[in-house]
Amino acid sequence: MTTVAESRPSEGFSTWSRLRGWLRNPWGKPRFLVLITWAYILWSIVPVLIAVQFSFNATRSRTVWDSFSWRWYWGDPVDSVWHDPTLRHALVQSFKLAGADVLIAVPIGVLLALGLARWRGRGSGVSNFIMLFPLVTPEIVMGVSLLLVFSELFTFIHTGTVAQILGHVTFSISFVVVIVRGRLFSIGRQYEEAAADLGASPFVALTRVLLPLLTPAIVASAAVVFAISADDFVISQWLSEGGPTDTVPIRIYSATRAAPLPSVNAIATIMMVSTLLIVTIGFLTWRAFTRGERRAGKAAEDIGGAFNLT
Amino acid sequence: MYPRWLWRSLALPGIAWLIILFVVPFYAVLGVALGTVDPILFQPVPIWNPLEWNVGWIQEALTRLAPGGIWFDVGVRTIVYVLLSLALCLLIGYPVAYYTARHAGRWKGLILILIILPLWISYMMRMLAWVNLLQADGYVNRFLVFTHVLNQPRDWLGGSASTVILALVYGYIPYLILPLFASLDRIDRSHLEAARDLGASPWSAFRTVTLPLSKTGILGGAVLITLPMFGDYYTPNIVSGSPKTSLVGNQIDLYFHGGPQPTLGAALTIILAVFLTFLMLYYLWSIHRAQRDVGAVGAL
Amino acid sequence: MTHHPKERPGYLNRRDFLARAAGATFAVSGASGLLAACSSSTTVAQETSTTGELLGPGGLPLARPDKRVTLPLWEDPIESGLEPETGGTFTVFNYPDYFYKKLLKDFGEQYGVDVQYTAFDNISSGIKRLASGAVQPDVMEMTPDNLDQAVAGKLIKPLNLDYIPNLQKNVWPELVDPFYDGGSHYTVPYTCYATGIAWRTDHVTEDIAGMQQPWDIFWNAEAYKGKTSLLSEPRETIAMALLRKGHTDINTEDPALINQAVADLKELYDICNIKVGDVQYQAVPEGTSWLNQAWSGDMIAGYIYYLPKGTPATALAYWKADKGKVPIQNDCFSICSTTKKPVLSHLFLNYLLDNGVAYSNFVNFNGYQPPLDEIDPASLVRDGVVPENLENSVLTKDDFGPDSLQEMTLTAQGQQLWEDGYSDFLAGGGS
Repeated sequence: MTTVAESRPSEGFSTWSRLRGWLRNPWGKPRFLVLITWAYILWSIVPVLIAVQFSFNATRSRTVWDSFSWRWYWGDPVDSVWHDPTLRHALVQSFKLAGADVLIAVPIGVLLALGLARWRGRGSGVSNFIMLFPLVTPEIVMGVSLLLVFSELFTFIHTGTVAQILGHVTFSISFVVVIVRGRLFSIGRQYEEAAADLGASPFVALTRVLLPLLTPAIVASAAVVFAISADDFVISQWLSEGGPTDTVPIRIYSATRAAPLPSVNAIATIMMVSTLLIVTIGFLTWRAFTRGERRAGKAAEDIGGAFNLT
Repeated sequence: MYPRWLWRSLALPGIAWLIILFVVPFYAVLGVALGTVDPILFQPVPIWNPLEWNVGWIQEALTRLAPGGIWFDVGVRTIVYVLLSLALCLLIGYPVAYYTARHAGRWKGLILILIILPLWISYMMRMLAWVNLLQADGYVNRFLVFTHVLNQPRDWLGGSASTVILALVYGYIPYLILPLFASLDRIDRSHLEAARDLGASPWSAFRTVTLPLSKTGILGGAVLITLPMFGDYYTPNIVSGSPKTSLVGNQIDLYFHGGPQPTLGAALTIILAVFLTFLMLYYLWSIHRAQRDVGAVGAL
Repeated sequence: MTHHPKERPGYLNRRDFLARAAGATFAVSGASGLLAACSSSTTVAQETSTTGELLGPGGLPLARPDKRVTLPLWEDPIESGLEPETGGTFTVFNYPDYFYKKLLKDFGEQYGVDVQYTAFDNISSGIKRLASGAVQPDVMEMTPDNLDQAVAGKLIKPLNLDYIPNLQKNVWPELVDPFYDGGSHYTVPYTCYATGIAWRTDHVTEDIAGMQQPWDIFWNAEAYKGKTSLLSEPRETIAMALLRKGHTDINTEDPALINQAVADLKELYDICNIKVGDVQYQAVPEGTSWLNQAWSGDMIAGYIYYLPKGTPATALAYWKADKGKVPIQNDCFSICSTTKKPVLSHLFLNYLLDNGVAYSNFVNFNGYQPPLDEIDPASLVRDGVVPENLENSVLTKDDFGPDSLQEMTLTAQGQQLWEDGYSDFLAGGGS
């Protein structure tokens, strides 16, 4: 520290010396890092805000703003989301898949997380690997493999909603495991051991001590599963049978390749707002449950724990 | 205190599901890729018995991917695009993660939310947003012409590699920043202080302490985005549409399009999966080694 | 298989892989035992007749405009003079949004049935779903190049033309007794279209129609870099390159010709940064693409539905070659074997060939013209359906006949050649 102070020129703070000061002080606030971060955030979010804005455009242009209107949501009698059956069905299908995905994947994933985190023995490594693989498998590989397995092996399942749900759950389970396991790591065994010391049976320790402590992670993972299911494009497309089984991302994709109307912006906005609402609820629930732990700085630990993949 | 069979049984439903609907389908792809084609309906005829496997299609696919084959350029192009996108993602994402983890102070929570936000916004919607902006009369051109960076509007969507790479970066970078942030956040300040006390300059402290300790995060994030990127076929379709920017995924897509050779699509899928498995194994091995090194530091 | 304009992006042919037939429905003579079972084969097996002539799927001879094929009757058609069945449901199996719902309702009211509309994404997946028993429709859309499969698999019933007088009365003669279905044993025509060039007159200055070889415009389109596109179909792209050089056999299986065509197409990367896609019906009217290979119905649909206010109709233009140099295609309708209302199905086929019904379907809904005598370009322009500058995108009976070009089924080897050629083009590499 003293070396830094001594090397600073003794004349007044010229810009150059301030710059050098900033660059040299690792505990200061490097301005260019601030700049990059905020520039990134703007670059990341503003385009989406503009897309949302144009969903309220009174004309059919997605590039030239006219005036505010609900036309593409329900106003236009032919092309609005409310009146166009293809858009409406896509919305319904997206919600259907996401809801089913949450209801199936979260319980399976929580159990798997518990099992993998605590399992010490043969097979645990392989099982961990199997759990991790969907996270890094390209979706086209998963799409092809699911399509072929349903048409060549499990032929009683045709493409369509059931196949789509099965596909969504398959890639969602890993997300649940990773999130719940992160929380498990930061909780540790202390509470269950305390309960055991107080005479609780294993079953009670599990259900009345551990599971409630896991609730924020469970809720968070439910929100995450909803979001990734709503976002999914490749698996839904490959397992779709066309028409009403197309989801919102599929519609956005087809429309974007052609020349979309702002009704596509509208349906995307609806989906985004719904997902954000659910994620916010999940996040707030998580915060409410971890109120005490936050003061101990454990919030980031949960996130960090989630990425402790091995 | 828990019975030994408990954890195994809890894990069973999940593992069973993944085996039936994740592992077994890979075998279905193998069976199709190493099978034949029904000449009437051009349906794949899978061969399940490894002893009877027909390797012709995989050989054909490998020949096409080799130098001189018709898919060589696509393969090279895919690798190049992925590496360039990864480099850009790291270039932009690392400073952002670093700032959020170490210098954000009271802004940390807000910035974290803003960084996580794109993850909840559908990939398709983010691409849609960019397609709108990149139109001939969209905001990007209007801004660039207004600020005199460009003399006239540029055609961004006319089939250019840079647009595709930028789109890939835009789409995947949130998935890199989060693991990077997580690993940077976990680095103990005391390590840096120790380095500084020992006389290291800020830059070499960063280089010798922070960077290595964040290696697991870099690797994890890199794997998390590059592996899916190798299978991307929709991004070039959305922002380009030109064969000159098509990727391996587009070829797989073509052969499942109703023609007489779906087995080729399956063969290419297998090759892609094997290639990525090698990357995945390399990642796991590096993590293992990095954790050994970190373990030594953590013992301090 | 050749692809249909209704196979829009987003509706992909995944459903091809939906459950294969249990096997019993395919009693195809001579097909069994020809599956290539060698350990290192990449050829899709194919059939040869006793005369050495190449056959298509199902062992049926390949039909061409100058080579008529009469399909064998696998059962007798129903008797004449029966009363139509009423009550219950009547299912139409077709591309999505390809038949005006109001007309379906009218038919249902007339005969006292509830008309359902089930969609398939593309004809091959529709046939496979039919074969697997996943659907049991009464009537379905058919295309000439899939006819062989459907007949070989006994999926469609032979027709009794006594119930379909409109066929002789209203339809173009060339399609009453077409080359692909001599005697109209199984099909009646539905819509027709051609492949040509669509462009924006306000951006593209050349007189494309006046050029000696209009397809050359793509090879001279430097000024329109990034705004040109071809159809993303193996058959259409390579056929275009063949026609440009004067080769008129668009069903060729000559590898040398196909390779040359692909090499020619690859020149387009550097010339005009060519794209591929299926969205010209919207992109050209909206102005995001200026020069496109397009189907004839695209500009009509573009004019009717997608032209933004403020863009004049004269901004759109279409060109198609003369007969013998232009690829044309037509759709058909057939009666499914799964029908429980065969008489009513015949009457439905007659209904869709009624002048008023077909006209309403075309103008009010699907934008693809029916091959009927009463519907000709002049009357369409007169009624304001088609602007004068797009008159040539309407086909006439003269476009059909023995010297017309039609993309038809190929042998399995041929299909492979074309698909691989397109894959090469799509890969975007050097040649």
